[in-house]
Amino acid sequence: MWGGLSVGMVFYLLFGIAPALGNVLVSFTNYSGLPGSPTSFAGLSNYTALLTTEGPGFVSSIIDTLFFVVGVTVVQNVVGMLFAHRLQGQGKAATLLRILAFFPIVLGVTVVGIVWLLLFDPESSPAQALFGAFGIQSAFFGSNTVAMPLVIIVQVWQNLGFTMVVFIGSLKMIPRSIYEAAGLDGVTPWKRFSSITWPMMAPAVTVNVLFAVIGSLTTYNLIYILTDGDYGTNTLGMLAFNSGFGGTPDLGLGAAVTVALLVVAICVAVPLALLLRYRERRLLA
Amino acid sequence: MSSSSGMLLINPRRVWRLTSAILIGLLFIIPIVYVVMISIESPNQFLDHPLVPPVPPSLQNFSSAYQQGDLGPQVLNTIIYSLSAAGISTGLSLLIAFPVSRKLIRWSSGVYGWFVIGICLPLPIIPLFIEARDLHLYDNRIGYILLHVEPGLPLGVILLTAFISGIPKELDEAAWIDGAGYFRYLASVIGPLAWPSIVIIFLYSLLAVWNDIIGPVVLLASPNLFPVARGVYSFYSSNPTSYTLLAAAVMIVSLPVALLFVVSQRQLLRATMGMSR
Repeated sequence: MWGGLSVGMVFYLLFGIAPALGNVLVSFTNYSGLPGSPTSFAGLSNYTALLTTEGPGFVSSIIDTLFFVVGVTVVQNVVGMLFAHRLQGQGKAATLLRILAFFPIVLGVTVVGIVWLLLFDPESSPAQALFGAFGIQSAFFGSNTVAMPLVIIVQVWQNLGFTMVVFIGSLKMIPRSIYEAAGLDGVTPWKRFSSITWPMMAPAVTVNVLFAVIGSLTTYNLIYILTDGDYGTNTLGMLAFNSGFGGTPDLGLGAAVTVALLVVAICVAVPLALLLRYRERRLLA
Repeated sequence: MSSSSGMLLINPRRVWRLTSAILIGLLFIIPIVYVVMISIESPNQFLDHPLVPPVPPSLQNFSSAYQQGDLGPQVLNTIIYSLSAAGISTGLSLLIAFPVSRKLIRWSSGVYGWFVIGICLPLPIIPLFIEARDLHLYDNRIGYILLHVEPGLPLGVILLTAFISGIPKELDEAAWIDGAGYFRYLASVIGPLAWPSIVIIFLYSLLAVWNDIIGPVVLLASPNLFPVARGVYSFYSSNPTSYTLLAAAVMIVSLPVALLFVVSQRQLLRATMGMSR
């Protein structure tokens, strides 16, 4: 027993916990990651660089992150809830559409990213043909105004199936008898949703909101494919990656951004999780 | 008279259900149809009228993309990486989850808590890169597999701990305590009982390894070691305007996961439905 357990724990400590803490250590150095370059203790210089104007756009990155996280969380949950209501049935069409909506998760970010780059190519693509017909020209993923909304749409498109299926699972667990009792009182569909369905779905809302917030806050792989953080899509995760491995690699600076991201993630996720749990207890009591 | 009024009285609820189903279907099918369509267009046809279905279709793009992108070895690499990393990860999840769930060790809930935290942490790619270089795990197959075991552990341990706590403890006493070795007990009793969740954990970590793009960009340098995600992305970076070739490459690398999804979609969707308990 101890043998199996300790092998597992060694993996987790060595490749999970240690590097997470290691970020803090690396952030106090000027390690470039390039072979042969000297590394020394750099104190807080990486952190002060982030907050000065010479830094790599840390403040604007926080604004981009805010747009991305709020945009993805709101759109994914609202649309996921709507689709869940439409596709919760047992019919053939609903079953097929549920499977279809889940497919982009399986395809992965690289394939999904390239597919949307093809769909929105500024030179020749369906989007270019469609908007061109109205005389609208846009660089799409290369446009400062359109890139962020598009990136949000693709992120939601990829993960919508998951959100929707979690909501459907929760919808199916609501006992029919509750609706029948409410039906006798002659309530409107909206009232039915707001007073029965929505509160009963509190656990699914917790899961979906937390997954959307944590996922959009900490992952940047789709942004890496679509824009590489350019055109107003430089979220904190993307900034950390490009500071560490971009044109002028600086692992110390990248680690400092990651530490900042970690602090933001904890400050957002922990209170949010507690709030959503409190909401569940209140609504389901 | 009655028949004509039947034609006019279209049920608005039915129309709405049909329209909404078609719109949802189009949202997910148009991107796929477009990629499939241009993958069988010749480059000349794509230049003239890209949005018209090609007659006759051409399969030239597939062989060109396969050769130019060196996709065959990459598909093989990806299969090796994701099967082994997901296999080790799932096995280790079970080896951690069982003692944690049975509270056979002193800090069971503390250990469990560390895995819950693990789900929320951003991937510490910079220290991982440094570790990989120092431990000689950088740019080689074994290292790449070992580095991809950990990301699957938090979800695996959490799901399996929950599942195993539903398996009666009396079974432990009957089989394992009375002579059968610990690992034999796990393999012959717990394994089969927990099989549905083991399959889901395996599938989710397999997809995570298969689709990882940051890992192969940071942890690999030799093109002959690339998995498909990195390979098809490099192919895109060097041929961003070879639209038809790119579409064919995307289809080739998606074929294995698409087939896997067809056979496993029922389990995947059912498990996801249960995520909110």
